Amino acid sequence: MTVMGNTRIAFIETITELVQQDSKAVLVCADSVLVVKGKDFARKYPDRFIDVGIAEQNAVACAAGLASCGLIPFVATYAGFITMRACEQVRTFAAYPNLNVKLVGANGGISAGEREGVTHQFFEDLGIVRTIPGITVVVPADEGQVRCAARAIYSVEGPAYLRIGSGRDPIVDSEHVPFELGKIRILAQHGKDVTLFTNGFVINRVLRAAEILSKEGIRATVADVHTLKPLDRDGIASLLAQTGAAVTIEDHNVIGGLGSAIAELSVEECPVPIKRVGLQDVYPRSGKPEALLDYYHIGLTDIVAAAKSSLKRKNL
Amino acid sequence: MQERIRQLEEHARQIRIDIVTMIHKAGDGHPGASLSAADLVTALYFDVMNMDPNAPKKADRDRFILSKGHACPCLYAALARRGYFSPDKLPSLRSLESHLQGHPDMNKTPGIDSTSGSLGNGVSIGLGMVLAGRLTGHDYFTYVITGDGEIEEGIVWEAAMAACKYKAGRLIVLVDNNGIQSGGPVQEVSGLYPILPKWEAFGWHCQEIDGHDFGQILAAIEKAKACTDRPSVIVAHTIKGKGVPFMEGDNSWHKRVPTAQEYQQAMSILGGACS
Repeated sequence: MTVMGNTRIAFIETITELVQQDSKAVLVCADSVLVVKGKDFARKYPDRFIDVGIAEQNAVACAAGLASCGLIPFVATYAGFITMRACEQVRTFAAYPNLNVKLVGANGGISAGEREGVTHQFFEDLGIVRTIPGITVVVPADEGQVRCAARAIYSVEGPAYLRIGSGRDPIVDSEHVPFELGKIRILAQHGKDVTLFTNGFVINRVLRAAEILSKEGIRATVADVHTLKPLDRDGIASLLAQTGAAVTIEDHNVIGGLGSAIAELSVEECPVPIKRVGLQDVYPRSGKPEALLDYYHIGLTDIVAAAKSSLKRKNL
Repeated sequence: MQERIRQLEEHARQIRIDIVTMIHKAGDGHPGASLSAADLVTALYFDVMNMDPNAPKKADRDRFILSKGHACPCLYAALARRGYFSPDKLPSLRSLESHLQGHPDMNKTPGIDSTSGSLGNGVSIGLGMVLAGRLTGHDYFTYVITGDGEIEEGIVWEAAMAACKYKAGRLIVLVDNNGIQSGGPVQEVSGLYPILPKWEAFGWHCQEIDGHDFGQILAAIEKAKACTDRPSVIVAHTIKGKGVPFMEGDNSWHKRVPTAQEYQQAMSILGGACS
């Protein structure tokens, strides 16, 4: 039985701690205070809370101004409104000048956007930010990982993007592996037949798929690639070399996100058969999270089939 | 006051010489917009702003954002003449090894407080700087020069709303209203006019001046500084290409390089030596 957590609360509690410890953190919202559960924060720390209204471009550019004067703003609203509507402000005024602007995108993925429909389901965010030079991109697995990731990006100089979810975000089963920015986490090691690279809120599915595969005699290693940029090139290349086959599983379009990142690295460092499980370059629709993931071929059977397909090509 | 204005006029003449020379030597740039903003930039850099060329990152300095970043030859000239770097560097504008990018870059050029160039963003960034000043306990002013066509961008009005909400009295925006944007006269390209009532409707302290009259520029900035409970805008009527008569009001000079003959002609008008 999956236990649900809340990555939005995890974020707001972390920035609250940061504000208590440090005079530099500021929360910038675009009428997104409810999205990030920030009412208490706004009440307790009014001077550390800036709400510019429904105006994401202004939120990001304003944050660039704050950061240029030594503050560390977190701009928090829906993922797509940051990465698409305010994309140019992110690229030109936060990332290009290497300013300390931290971007926190909610509803990352189709499952986090779930019942809202396409306007609030964001499956291009990682592809967009990943092409912007100099930006750290983190896709935490669950609420505990959000706490670690938010602290980590705070302590690293420069722009960063942190993906969070809907507030009903599965907690990863048997979570014991510590978070280290820029390093993959090995979450399961059944063997070295195939590596399942994943991140975000679909990890439990991948862990279960690895168990199913194991019962069928296919021994997988599950790696959480929470930091999409900078990529843990050595860690990933090593797994590719050890297993010789891979599957990527992500709640994102298969173009631009984890699947692309692993494929790009593999082509350069260690070419192996790879199958990409994710949204297959189509628009999703409203629905409950788990049903949506199944409907759009990010289900257990899809992961299992992809692993078998990858393995088959490896053994040709 | 008269002597103060005479000195500013002399600085502005030098800035204009630098602008035309730089663009001629570089073989690229926007002379029209640089020349229209020259008096506003001169007033800020040679009279108004609290700054120190020897400490360009000083925490309590006044900030400046050239939101219409394509006018940067004007800003580069002002920075060089104020001592941020050698005027010898000016002709390197837009060349590969130069620290003078085609549009302002806060990490490459000493004295630049904000990267700019894609239009419309300066007011938002300026608001962030003003709010940062409050949080860090510095009472500097932030000055933003925008173009007129530039304020067609939606983000300008997003920022205008938020700045009013935050009573950003230390944010002073100067609109370089030369009346011509890239594609032609502002009134033909867009539905922007009238400008001033829009800012008034957004709750700003509003003034309208001749942007080539230093007395008016200085007086308006003084009034803007005195208005502490809301942000200020000064709509400055200017002439695109101001100071070089054959460029004035001729939009072919929006982005055009003076030939050797035109350069000589401009220098003889401005009293500069051809270099």
